[in-house]
Amino acid sequence: MDTALPSSWRRARYVVAAVLCLLTMLGTLPLRELLDLANIVMIFLLTVFVAAVWLGRGPAVMAAFLAVALFDFFFVPPHLSFAVADGQYLVTFAVMLAVGLITSHLGALLSERTTEAQSREHETRALYQLARDLGGALTVGQVADITQHFLATVDMEGTVLVADTQREIASFHEYGGHHLNDLEQGFARSAYERRTIVETDTLAGMGVAIVFLPLVAPAHVLGVLALAPRTDDVDHVRSLRPLLEAVASLLAITLERLHYAEAAQSSELQVSAERLRTSILSSLSHDLRTPLTSLVGLADTLVQRQPPLDEGAIETAGIIRDQAHAMHHLMSNLLEMARLQAGAVTLNKEWQPFDEVVGSSARLLTGLLAHRKLEIGLSRNLPLVHFDAVLLERVLCNLLENAAKYSPPEARIQVIAGTREEWLEVSIGNDGPGFPAARIDHVFDPFARGEREPAVAGTGLGLAICKAIIEAHGGTIVAENRPGGACVRFTLPLGTPPAMEEEATP
Amino acid sequence: MSETTARVIVVEDEPQIRRFVCDALRRETCVAIEAATARQGLDEAAGGKADLVILDLGLPDMNGIDFIRDLRSWSPVPILILSARSAERDKIAALDTGADDYLAKPFGVGELLARVRALLRRHWHGDAKPVHQFGEVEVDLSRRIVSRCGAEIHLTQIEYRLLAVMLANSGKVLTHRHLIHEVWGPGHADRGHYLRIYVGRLRQKLETDPTQPQHILTETGVGYRFQS
Repeated sequence: MDTALPSSWRRARYVVAAVLCLLTMLGTLPLRELLDLANIVMIFLLTVFVAAVWLGRGPAVMAAFLAVALFDFFFVPPHLSFAVADGQYLVTFAVMLAVGLITSHLGALLSERTTEAQSREHETRALYQLARDLGGALTVGQVADITQHFLATVDMEGTVLVADTQREIASFHEYGGHHLNDLEQGFARSAYERRTIVETDTLAGMGVAIVFLPLVAPAHVLGVLALAPRTDDVDHVRSLRPLLEAVASLLAITLERLHYAEAAQSSELQVSAERLRTSILSSLSHDLRTPLTSLVGLADTLVQRQPPLDEGAIETAGIIRDQAHAMHHLMSNLLEMARLQAGAVTLNKEWQPFDEVVGSSARLLTGLLAHRKLEIGLSRNLPLVHFDAVLLERVLCNLLENAAKYSPPEARIQVIAGTREEWLEVSIGNDGPGFPAARIDHVFDPFARGEREPAVAGTGLGLAICKAIIEAHGGTIVAENRPGGACVRFTLPLGTPPAMEEEATP
Repeated sequence: MSETTARVIVVEDEPQIRRFVCDALRRETCVAIEAATARQGLDEAAGGKADLVILDLGLPDMNGIDFIRDLRSWSPVPILILSARSAERDKIAALDTGADDYLAKPFGVGELLARVRALLRRHWHGDAKPVHQFGEVEVDLSRRIVSRCGAEIHLTQIEYRLLAVMLANSGKVLTHRHLIHEVWGPGHADRGHYLRIYVGRLRQKLETDPTQPQHILTETGVGYRFQS
């Protein structure tokens, strides 16, 4: 590999070759009378061969010509003249030159191959070392350091650019000493987007990055490796291309590994945080419910006591019981909202008719709805819908409760359900004052209340819970005022219910 | 509880809850036996004849499901579960293991006593009578005739089987799984939607207002309960 050698040595080799030939001449001159001329030819050929192996092709060719010239001048009669007395010597010269050239070629080839093999081995060892170092890297910063260290050994400066996948337009996080200017950023972006190597030879040696290698992992492009050579030798850079490509793919694999390791770690953290949250919520729910159960039960015991207490005491006990129930209701809403917001709720969806939850919700609210006009209008043959019955019952209860609380006692409450296109549409409305127009857009916000100083008890969480549950089902929910009252409408996706075989009629 | 005095074992670790439950039972002339731990509850049940066990699912010394399994291995005594409203999965597991009914906390004394009376009635008299009446409907199991306001109603085989299973377990919560197993046989656990559709058809045929059923009641997330 000539290019790898310093240029001073490159020139010196010719001098050395010439010196070798001269030494051969000087060494054999005293033996001119003793040795046969054929043997002297052999000694010259040996010199050419040594020059070929040791000094390379160019010096060997020169040595071949020089050897013929010296042999002619000093050894072939007449001595000290290029004139040739015997024509036969012309054949000797021709053969000598041919053998010299062929040997020089073969010898040089041999030494080139050896050098090449050595340099390949060196490269492989360096890459292996790099791979091992990268294998131990834990952060992108470490990866960049290791890469830079490696590139310094081939006279280059590298900057690792990691693409920011959060943004749409390619933008990079830079790792490495060399900060990229706008022009270089542009090249890097183009390498990233087109997934090809970008090279700009014209800028070589100006201290800017001229080679941009995309870091392509199996799944996607992770970033770009920008390389700035420390010399202006474009050929040198080009010869390193296979090595640099190998470095780029090693880098891509390493970054991919770091990415997945990070993802695995963060999901593990998330899982344990979620588990903690769920267990806190459920123990909180148990701890709060237990004293409330005692309160409700003990107050009830007072109400039903035999012989009965006086009227005032019974009334008081009844109020205590009702307030404990109300508190339980608030607490359930708060915990439910916390669970929904924490993402701790897994939907237990099943295919079922929607009327079933309407019926069960109405039954749960028997007390509240006892003297109300409840109109249920469900289209006949509603298809089965895929939902979590417990959560949907919660939605309907909250909406019915609101409809009852925010309307005069004689007002109608309506539940209407039907299908439209791919959706089940449900609306729950009342005859009443409706939502305050100014706040209708915020009724689904947690802790939003219709009025500033509410006369009706509640946390303002009911509608927020409804929204969270409906959205978890992939549906939508809106609040609106219609003539003569308020209305909340929600949708659920219909999907394709499972098939059902009808039984054979006997 | 006119016939005899019922012995009811109350297994609940919370003393205040245990107290008002036992007070209510004693006012109903039951003999209430208090147990603060599962171990104690099982000992009491083994020691003397019990007519009902009221069990809190969240006991400190033993999983409620294990308690039911243990008790069920040697006694058919009715079991009433006390549990938090949101824990559907626990309720279903308890019912499938052999519990008869559940009550969500917090509950009033009235609700508690209604459940206790229904369970004791079933325990003493059973539901093996040939003719059932509810609302406008009369079902004669011996002749397989269902009529509403005197007019005969046609039920398909599956509808009839479903109704019969519900009547036989009147007042009791039946989980989806249990009903599917009873009506369609084993190996049909994926027929949840069949069950719901057939219940809907029964309601259409038997209930006065199918959207607000009074007899075939939905226990959301758990199953159904028939109430005459």
